[in-house]
Amino acid sequence: MTEKKLVIALAGNANVGKSVIFNYLTGLHQHIGNWPGKTVERAEGTLHFKGYTIDIVDLPGIYSLSPYSLEELVSRKYIAVERPDIVINVVDASVLERNLFFTLQLMELETPMIIALNQVDIAKKKGIEINVEKLEKLLGVSVVPTVAIKGVGIFQLLEKTLEIVEKGPAAKPAEVKYGEEVEERIAKLTKMIGGIQFWYPPRYAAIKLLEGDEEIAREISRIDPQIVSTGEKLASEVESLHGHSCSTVMTSERYDVAGCIARDVQKLMPPIKPTAEERLHALTTHRIMGYPIMALALLSMFYSIFTFGDYVSKLLSNFFYGWEPLFASLFGTGTLGKLVWGGVVEGVIAGLTIALPYIVPFYIMLYLLEDSGYLSRIAFLMDNVMHKIGLHGKAFIPLMLGYGCNVPACLGCRIMETERERLLAAFVTTLVPCAARTVIILGLVGQFMGIQWALLLYVLDMLIIFALGRLAFKTLPGEPTALIMEMHDYRLPHLKTVLKQTWFRLAEFMKIAFPLIIIGGLAIKLAEVSGLLEPIATMLSPITVVWLGLPVITGITLIFGVLRKELTLIMLATLLGTTDFAKVLTPVQMIVFTFVAMFYIPCIATIAALVREFGWKKALLITVFEIVFAISLGGVALRVLTSTT
Amino acid sequence: MEKRNSKGLEVPLTALRDGQTGTVTSIKTGYGRGRGRGWGFEKRLTDMGLTPGTRVTVVKSAPFHGPLEILVRGSRLALGRGMAERIFVETEKE
Repeated sequence: MTEKKLVIALAGNANVGKSVIFNYLTGLHQHIGNWPGKTVERAEGTLHFKGYTIDIVDLPGIYSLSPYSLEELVSRKYIAVERPDIVINVVDASVLERNLFFTLQLMELETPMIIALNQVDIAKKKGIEINVEKLEKLLGVSVVPTVAIKGVGIFQLLEKTLEIVEKGPAAKPAEVKYGEEVEERIAKLTKMIGGIQFWYPPRYAAIKLLEGDEEIAREISRIDPQIVSTGEKLASEVESLHGHSCSTVMTSERYDVAGCIARDVQKLMPPIKPTAEERLHALTTHRIMGYPIMALALLSMFYSIFTFGDYVSKLLSNFFYGWEPLFASLFGTGTLGKLVWGGVVEGVIAGLTIALPYIVPFYIMLYLLEDSGYLSRIAFLMDNVMHKIGLHGKAFIPLMLGYGCNVPACLGCRIMETERERLLAAFVTTLVPCAARTVIILGLVGQFMGIQWALLLYVLDMLIIFALGRLAFKTLPGEPTALIMEMHDYRLPHLKTVLKQTWFRLAEFMKIAFPLIIIGGLAIKLAEVSGLLEPIATMLSPITVVWLGLPVITGITLIFGVLRKELTLIMLATLLGTTDFAKVLTPVQMIVFTFVAMFYIPCIATIAALVREFGWKKALLITVFEIVFAISLGGVALRVLTSTT
Repeated sequence: MEKRNSKGLEVPLTALRDGQTGTVTSIKTGYGRGRGRGWGFEKRLTDMGLTPGTRVTVVKSAPFHGPLEILVRGSRLALGRGMAERIFVETEKE
């Protein structure tokens, strides 16, 4: 094989169309996972072009390369240490200044690069025309205008990229020049760093040291702590000269350069289509009208997805269970048949009937909300409420999703910025009563005690979410991050990208969830077949009977509920031999049972989602906490209820 | 709080009326929680373009003390109120 290999990284701000370009380039050869040991998503794909096998890495959308967030750190490390052959910097032509600020930092990293000047069509609509040649000349970097959504310019971008890789860049990238007093000090530090072995370019390291970059300082101090202390001294000199911290001075100057270039290459004209987007923005963020619109939009979305999911879920379920007789005739109805059907096949069916009908539309919806720009408006409206539990506005989305199904909701927590927020949001989300728990609440309490009791449970649930959210917010280490978020202009999402994103994330999730579901199902079935369930239920009776005041067999149903929450109710009917629960359970027992079923453990698919996002340790911690919490509070509820009646 | 020899008044961003524009003078960080936090906070804001000397327009704020919608450097940002309170601006005479 004479195949030539190449690595290309895509970098740029959030919402500039990076993932659309990524999807154009990589087609169906994608792999989505996490960066090793991090909760930051890593999307990778391959492309064959002109005899090259090109590996394309889509870096997270970021605004800067100061390691403020995990995403920034991961991206910088990747570019500096793993050194992709070239970086394609995707730039939003309609917000040039902010995007160039990031471009300048990439240039400081001295990586080979090319710019995809994307969304030139949107810019034109806003009345911004960009002189591409001038931009190329000022930056010393090749620029290819693109409209990724329509596939315009992608081929040229790829050709130009290969040309640069093969022949080297046509020009030398410009250098960001800071003020004299800063440059002087950069030069001093650059000279010192040039003398040591360090993987970042010396000038870049010098700049970052002056900016107070803790990560770079830590790494350099391992080699020569002298350099770091010199850097700190020089930085404080700049600070006393300017009255602002050195980092602010330098960020400011970098932005000024970006602003100058942007103004130099832009020709502003009256916008062609003035204010359709503007008006929509004003309406959807209106201090009164914004809320009913949001409620309507979200409710109708959730409702349609829910109805769709329910319908497809039943359809699939009927389809799969239709095979049961055939299956039984093949494997028999003996121990083996029961094990294989009940353990393995039912597990797969459960996975498929939950995952496909609900997760797919939820993912699609989440991406549509995000891509269109409405997600950021919702975050804007709900920020204040979410702050009460230590989260900011964006967390509202996974929380809402949780009412449908916790699994996509937990996966959706990655829209939060920091790991702490992600974990906090996911934890709160697992407490939200999902559709399956709604089945229990409505099917047991709602049906046999009246809807007002069911509603009471919902209210109670919200109070508990609020209280536990606050508690977790106080106990989790780290600082709460306030909302600072770009609200980009409304635009039509790129459907193909949305669908592909959904598909690859679904595949990634199934890889983790299915083994877990099958192993869990098999273990429980094995216990059932070997007659262990009843002894286990008896063993649990100090908890179920003595502490919670429930019948012994609820121990069994609660175990099955780990697989699917609604199984707690279905198994209860099976084991009690009746669906008329009023005959076998007292009202207090119903409430206690439902209460415990609501909280006692995330279902196995949710646990899988937590593992996928946060690793085993944290997933286990949340699980154990919820078991203890539900049981303790269930007992308390029993005592309160019996003492008042 | 240092006072500048300013023509306008130096106030937190939250004090601007809807539609009013100001120029960033300083970002108040710290609150005695150690350098790291202050640095991250200030860096995050400056990275988003809120550097001293930048003109910021407050478009509106979400109800019940919600975040502010601001225009800065040609783009629209949502900014949590807690953050906005620590950004000081010099108001422009109208």
